[in-house]
Amino acid sequence: MGRLVHKIGGGLRYAVLAAWLVAVLFPMIWLLYTSAKSTQEIYQNPFGLPKLLTSPTAENAAALVANYRKAWVESHFSRYFLNSLEVVSLSLALILLLGSMAAYVLARFDFVGRRLIYYVFLSGLLIPMQLILIPLFFQFSDMSEGLTGLLAPPVRAMGLGDLTVSLHDSHAGLILIYVAASLPFTVFTLTGFFRTLPGEVREAAMMDGASEYRIFFSVMMPLAKPGLVTVAIFNFLGLWNEYLFGLVFLSSDHLKTLPLGLASISMQAQYKSDFGLLFAGLVIAMLPTLVVYLILQEKLTKGITAGAIKG
Amino acid sequence: MTKQRQQRLFILTFLGPPLALYALFVLLPAVNAFRYSLLRWDGLGAPEWVGLGNFRKLLSGSSDFLSAIGHNLFLTFVPGVLILVLALFFAYMVHQRIWGARLFRVAFFFPNVISSVAIALLWVLIYSTTDVGLLNNLLKALGQKEPIAFTESSRLLWAIVPMSVWTATGFFMVLFLAAMENIPETYYEAAKLDGATSGRQFWHITLPLMWDVLTIGIIFLVVGGLKFFDAIWVMENGRPSPATHTMSTLMYSKVFEQYDVGHGTAIAVLLFLLVLAATLVSLRLLRRERIEY
Repeated sequence: MGRLVHKIGGGLRYAVLAAWLVAVLFPMIWLLYTSAKSTQEIYQNPFGLPKLLTSPTAENAAALVANYRKAWVESHFSRYFLNSLEVVSLSLALILLLGSMAAYVLARFDFVGRRLIYYVFLSGLLIPMQLILIPLFFQFSDMSEGLTGLLAPPVRAMGLGDLTVSLHDSHAGLILIYVAASLPFTVFTLTGFFRTLPGEVREAAMMDGASEYRIFFSVMMPLAKPGLVTVAIFNFLGLWNEYLFGLVFLSSDHLKTLPLGLASISMQAQYKSDFGLLFAGLVIAMLPTLVVYLILQEKLTKGITAGAIKG
Repeated sequence: MTKQRQQRLFILTFLGPPLALYALFVLLPAVNAFRYSLLRWDGLGAPEWVGLGNFRKLLSGSSDFLSAIGHNLFLTFVPGVLILVLALFFAYMVHQRIWGARLFRVAFFFPNVISSVAIALLWVLIYSTTDVGLLNNLLKALGQKEPIAFTESSRLLWAIVPMSVWTATGFFMVLFLAAMENIPETYYEAAKLDGATSGRQFWHITLPLMWDVLTIGIIFLVVGGLKFFDAIWVMENGRPSPATHTMSTLMYSKVFEQYDVGHGTAIAVLLFLLVLAATLVSLRLLRRERIEY
């Protein structure tokens, strides 16, 4: 009897897990196969498999091609995609470089104010981005004005025409914010990582007459690669999906990142009831991070694990 | 140059640029937020000093702020409880190396890597009242006659609950699983020898030994709930109503639609103070004797 109860309990638990698996995966799979249907086909048969899968002919593939063409070319998803790629990769490069420079010094050197500076960086973990959003908006106006005032006269003197610098509505401005706002987490994680590296390596390199700069770039950075990868994954996911700062600081359509572009396209698509476009757009927005996750999921899970255990 | 001066120069060149960037684009605006919150300012003209007037007005109930906090708390605790229970259950199951454990672990995490905008739009489609609406079609098959407008302002907060649970459970499962895997096997072996059931093992070994990580999980949930913005903004097409405003959406509307910088930044300051208080209180309340093993 006890065994039977145990078995039923086990079966029930399994059923809950399986149900959750379906609940998580089905909406994504639904997006994927529906993006192969024309809007008309979606209306007639919203949940069944697309004609393309049930009877794969060139004619039935036309809907798929049309949806993705409309999304990628006509609705500028290619532009948004490249913008995201540019903003996120430049931000990541700077975050990793600047973050590991600060973390290395804070972890391996002793000097007056080291603890204070470490805690100043750490305090950023408690600052919600909402707190700095509005002041930054006005600070950008002031800084743009200041930079224009500073740089325009010499540029004009050189005969290069009128120059106006603006941090608003520019990728450069957004990148500056992304880098600065990502530093607390990055410095915190990497400092912990650099502390665990053996000190003998550095001493041996010093004996060989290597400078501190050389030691950092050719000895310490390669050793820190696992830590850098973890930090890079988390920052990549966070920045690729970031919405609020993009919403405030980018207004021109040709500068928008993927989440912003997706939000504005969806409004048009819902207004025109163009579901084919909407489903294709969602797939384009979803796939890159899913692919990156599938490739790097082992490392990402390890990153969470390490964080959880260190607490 | 002496060795020591060389080293000092190195420290300066390495710490200087990141610190300067961080000070200029995080610390300075954070300090300015407190200053702006004491002004009446439309963002263009001359600002007027009003002291704590903005805060008084926000907290007096004559604005939408108090109901916005209520919405944040709703969006923190209603999905939060479900997320914690499900994530603990899933983590415990996966930890027992059941068949398919790896698949569950990898797949449950999927929604966490999708942008919040895409997730919100996916759920707009799931809730849609048109023929595409997954849920309304399901209800129709069960006998419901009229489609239900789940994402209407009056129902939106409830509609976000399943979406939040769907999204976040996988992350917390992975977090808790990591903590569970860190507990030495010998404890369970000893308990089994004493005849403890799997339920007792969970309450008396697993849960106490992962208390730290549970605390961190709760802090993540609360801070995330207090900052809630994206889904409300997207599902309301950038025009939240008093029934759906959260602190963040209200802040945005105040500054960029009503040109009321003072009230907007006062909201941001209160949001910051709430995040700070929630973090410190959780750490205090939930901190038990740390168990070393």
